[in-house]
Amino acid sequence: MDDIRLVEKTVNAAGVKIAARGVQVYYGETHAIKDVDVDIADRTVTAFIGPSGCGKSTFLRCLNRMNDTIPICRVEGKITIDGEDIYDKRVDPVQLRAKVGMVFQKPNPFPKSIYDNVAYGPKIHGLNRNKAELDEIVETSLRKAALWNEAKDRLSEPGTGLSGGQQQRLCIARAIATSPEVLLMDEPCSALDPIATAQVEELIDELRSQFSVVIVTHSMQQAARVSQRTAFFHLGNLVEYGETSQIFTNPSDPRTESYITGRIG
Amino acid sequence: MTDATFSGAVPRQSLYAPDEGMRRRNAAEARFRLYGLIAVGIGLVALVLLLSSVLLNGASSFRQASLLLDVPLDAAVLDKAGDRDPEKMKRVTTIGYGKLLDTALKEMIASKGIVIEGLTDKDVSDMISKEAAALVRNRVLAHPDLVGQTVSFKVLANGRIDGYLKGRVSMESAARDSNVSPNQLRLADALREEGVLIKAFNWLFITAPDASELRPEAAGLGVAILGSAYMMIIVLVLSLPIGVAASVYLEEFAPKNRWTDLIEVNISNLAAVPSIVFGILGLAVFINFAGLPQSAPVVGGLVLTLMTLPTIIIATRAALKAVPPSIREAALGVGASKMQSILHHVLPLAMPGILTGAIIGLAQALGETAPLLLIGMVAFVRDYPGAPPEGFFDPASALPVQVYNWTQRADPAFVERASGAIIVLLIFLLIMNAVAIVLRRKFERRW
Repeated sequence: MDDIRLVEKTVNAAGVKIAARGVQVYYGETHAIKDVDVDIADRTVTAFIGPSGCGKSTFLRCLNRMNDTIPICRVEGKITIDGEDIYDKRVDPVQLRAKVGMVFQKPNPFPKSIYDNVAYGPKIHGLNRNKAELDEIVETSLRKAALWNEAKDRLSEPGTGLSGGQQQRLCIARAIATSPEVLLMDEPCSALDPIATAQVEELIDELRSQFSVVIVTHSMQQAARVSQRTAFFHLGNLVEYGETSQIFTNPSDPRTESYITGRIG
Repeated sequence: MTDATFSGAVPRQSLYAPDEGMRRRNAAEARFRLYGLIAVGIGLVALVLLLSSVLLNGASSFRQASLLLDVPLDAAVLDKAGDRDPEKMKRVTTIGYGKLLDTALKEMIASKGIVIEGLTDKDVSDMISKEAAALVRNRVLAHPDLVGQTVSFKVLANGRIDGYLKGRVSMESAARDSNVSPNQLRLADALREEGVLIKAFNWLFITAPDASELRPEAAGLGVAILGSAYMMIIVLVLSLPIGVAASVYLEEFAPKNRWTDLIEVNISNLAAVPSIVFGILGLAVFINFAGLPQSAPVVGGLVLTLMTLPTIIIATRAALKAVPPSIREAALGVGASKMQSILHHVLPLAMPGILTGAIIGLAQALGETAPLLLIGMVAFVRDYPGAPPEGFFDPASALPVQVYNWTQRADPAFVERASGAIIVLLIFLLIMNAVAIVLRRKFERRW
């Protein structure tokens, strides 16, 4: 079963969406990311794996410039999306983040109604012309996030009243409501139980048809299940990057092998 | 290894028999709880004592002795020209009205058949408050067509008569008092029996301006309430936006460096500066330098704003800090700008805390006396301040200053009124707290 999926996955490799060249990240004196080069393909799920503190989340947060909010953080190198340098002076990070959505480790819905949670992004970006269009965006987003059936009768109830798994799917709905081109997910399942995790993973696989998804995960099984490409980070270095099937079955670097067999990390 | 621990183990003790250490620990625990209980008890006792003393002393100030008189408003006295022109009628002073009231009371006494040995005319006319004539005059000038009719008036009785009804003045004390005679008290008893002298709710206490030393019965809180209200408006309008803006900048935008640390320390220090220092500052800057009028609510409001700002800033910053960073990240993550994330998410979540801080600050400002003494709000003000915004520049008093003022006066009737003023002040505070609670409920959300 797993083998069949792996074969199917390799077929879908598309053009390059995000390209990073020589990326260095410093937190004050600490050199957190060391010279990372990576090409992230369009309409693909790319997983970042590695032990805690290896810099995978830091690198993920470089892709939508969330690191800008940390005063001591410094990013060097070049990251392009569709050939445009996102660290260029002309780029407004606010505009960038509308294109590069993000789902966080802990579900963090706004303390507002389910509807307002999803509608917030489209509203501030002026994506809708009227209420009917907004309703439609909310419905499609919730449908895509597989939350519509559970939430359609309680749209005006607070998003914080949902269960953990539902909250995370609400956050995914919120992130895709602005129709981003890339979806970044920072350990989206770490606070969820296995059933909710399975739902979110299924969702990620469906989202692949429209977005380029980058997911940071602690669970190698998850990386193997959902991703087509996998990058292994260790101590701030990108150790190995390639087809998921190849990384998990036939890693070329000894460090990758020790990690996936459980000897380090 | 396991053998060793077994052989070295103490003999098994029953769970039913607590050992010495456990007993001591439990005793300490019980004592710890007792200390807390005692502390709460002391606080409650102090609160009850405070409230009961204020209520016992002050509640009576809301009810005042008054005389029900039928006053013939003689046209020959009040309106010699006969054309009911208020301008011309103003020539008749309170003395003229006072005589009418005296006559009315005398007639009332005669018609009820009250006879008291040795009662002089002066005794009778002193039964009526000196303020009563002025109140009647104002009423007549406002309604000139009353002239010529016999109108029923409820006029204030003299403060000593009021004190007699409230048990403050007795026959013995009256014999020693040059302001009241035992005969007057006997007359008061007789009038009370006839239903002429009554004790009724006294709106004048809330609406009337302050009165002079000799007329405690007429003294009211009107000017003080207006002055305090004006100042609270100024404090709220100035300190809330300035305080919130400063806190948002310091908390969300300011770089963390030595300068912001310095500012932070100084704001905390400002919160601890004695309020009278702010009074001196207000006197020097707002009155002497800027030339704003003395005794004006605008100066009081500005001084109290300076005093309230640190409180609001500290509370607001704490409230902003308490908003989980995940909410900010979520907002930024969907592409909200910093301002949007603050206005749409952070501030609404911090609102309950901000409001609590603002209300604590306002309550402090409402009760503040010392700085107001320095900027001249302690003055004796008889005229109501005008409507805002011009009224902010008119002389006014303030509730706590009025309390201070009245406690300084000799007549014990003013002590009663000071307690009454404290009750009004407390009611204002309760209303403000109630508003804060309602607003907090409205803004409070789970996250």
